[in-house]
Amino acid sequence: MSKIMTRRPAVYLSRGDSVKGAIGFVVKWLLIIFFAVYTLFPLIWLIISSLKTNTELFGDPFSLPRVWQFSNYQNALAVSGLLKMMGNSILIALLATLANVVCASMLAYCLSRFRFKGREIIFTLFSAGILVPLNALMVPYFMTITNIGLYNTRAGLILLYSAIGIPMSTFIIRGLMGSLSREIEEAAYIDGCGFFGRFFRIILPLSRNGLMTAATFQFLTCWNEFVFANLLTSSQDVRTIQLGIRYFTNQFSTDFVSMYAAIVISVLPSILGYVLFQKQIVSGLTSGAVKG
Amino acid sequence: MKLSRQDRVGMALFMTPGMLLFLGFFVLPVFYVLAVSALEWNGMTSPVFVGLNNYLRIWRDVVFRRSVGNNIIWALVACCVQVPLAILMALILNSKPRGWQAFRTIYFFPQVISGVALAMLWSAVYNSEYGLLNGILHALGRGDLARNWLGNLQTALPALLIYWVFYVGYYMVIIMSDLSGITQDYYEAAQIDGAGSIQQAWYISLPLARNSIMTCVTLAAVLSLRQFEQVFLLTNGGPANRTSTMVLYLYKQIQNMRYGQANAASVMLICLGVVVILGIRRLFAMRSSAYE
Repeated sequence: MSKIMTRRPAVYLSRGDSVKGAIGFVVKWLLIIFFAVYTLFPLIWLIISSLKTNTELFGDPFSLPRVWQFSNYQNALAVSGLLKMMGNSILIALLATLANVVCASMLAYCLSRFRFKGREIIFTLFSAGILVPLNALMVPYFMTITNIGLYNTRAGLILLYSAIGIPMSTFIIRGLMGSLSREIEEAAYIDGCGFFGRFFRIILPLSRNGLMTAATFQFLTCWNEFVFANLLTSSQDVRTIQLGIRYFTNQFSTDFVSMYAAIVISVLPSILGYVLFQKQIVSGLTSGAVKG
Repeated sequence: MKLSRQDRVGMALFMTPGMLLFLGFFVLPVFYVLAVSALEWNGMTSPVFVGLNNYLRIWRDVVFRRSVGNNIIWALVACCVQVPLAILMALILNSKPRGWQAFRTIYFFPQVISGVALAMLWSAVYNSEYGLLNGILHALGRGDLARNWLGNLQTALPALLIYWVFYVGYYMVIIMSDLSGITQDYYEAAQIDGAGSIQQAWYISLPLARNSIMTCVTLAAVLSLRQFEQVFLLTNGGPANRTSTMVLYLYKQIQNMRYGQANAASVMLICLGVVVILGIRRLFAMRSSAYE
């Protein structure tokens, strides 16, 4: 009995036959449904619109397409160089994630398993780094990347992305490494396992989950990044998918349905990733936030 | 464990790449921004020291003042509307209504889609000719209210503000992770004392979720100050600079090669961020002492 009572306080109360409980129930569900519709409806509308003809779209924004126009998707792929840009995005996000997680996990190992002077200062700086509005650093980023000859290259974006994710990834991975027990490590130490052996054989394999969370979060950030990609590239060859969507507007000046198809295509990987890695994405976004 | 020689060498090796990236892309850029904000510099001719002139000049610029104002409006709406809505939905979903996990997934959804794709989606919703919003108004027989939402002086800023205010998933998930950790004994005791679900939320859940709520308010404020993509893509600051933000102002200064003024804007943005974060900390510290 107590279990039912305590686990669902609101439901328990709404079962009471008071009018107040009934109103609460209705308000609660109205809110739940409102937010769900608000989130999903525009998206579904976009997907349906992307399968109509332009005439149908202008005629009645709500009608279902008479014939599902999958050719819009062919147009989108043909016109905009979408596949090329997706390839760029995948390459940039993958390499930036790899570099970022390698650096961050080595840092997190030192920060979580050893005590040394300056450790607290690094924590403070990293917390500040998570909260600083990075957009304010556009000029120095532009200058740095240009001066080292990486303007308008994929390498420039990879370097910048791996760097700006360092504080967040380090915090996420350190959270997991810090929770591992000392005993295993000490046993390994007595068995003659050195600094590197303990990292590669013990700590790293045990913090797989933290690494996955950090990597997922970092990949998503890179995939969705727009501001710096816009600032640091100028030619079609190195553009990422996010810039692609922005320039669709110019390319499809009147062909709205193909533009919608292109937007849908660009969002698909995010949706797929979310479905596959929901746990990592949610915990990455929230744990990072709470640490900051 | 005492640090051995190998530990010291290993730590130096392991920390160097991450710390170099952090120095190069967080620490030095902040100093760079501070230094260049005191220069008159267009990137080509040699820079001239002008002291605080850049600050005075942008402060006299009505567009900059409006941008600061917009950022503050943005932050207030985020902290005072979006976060409370997130708290409300967190409380509702925490009572585990039917299908709450599915709703949590749905609400979190906009968080994984890129800002660019969302902006494009909403530019389609607000479009004056074939947009979803005008379509709904026509369907409801209120076609007279239909307008060019983003091009209108009165509606442009509200239209930008409203669409993401209902995307509460991120903050909601952060708060929910805190709420789920509250032991059920408190609720049980409150029920025995005859407290309703609203009283339980007010006197138990909210005070105990204080930390995550503070995190959310901080994040909401900081993210509002960073606001760029949405404005850049949907209105580009228009109509008549009504929707400009500090980062957009900074971006336009860069495009006009006014690096000194751009960096002065950056410094003010960072300072505003620090003030806001410290202010929120203090506010919550006051609140928490009231509970203890």
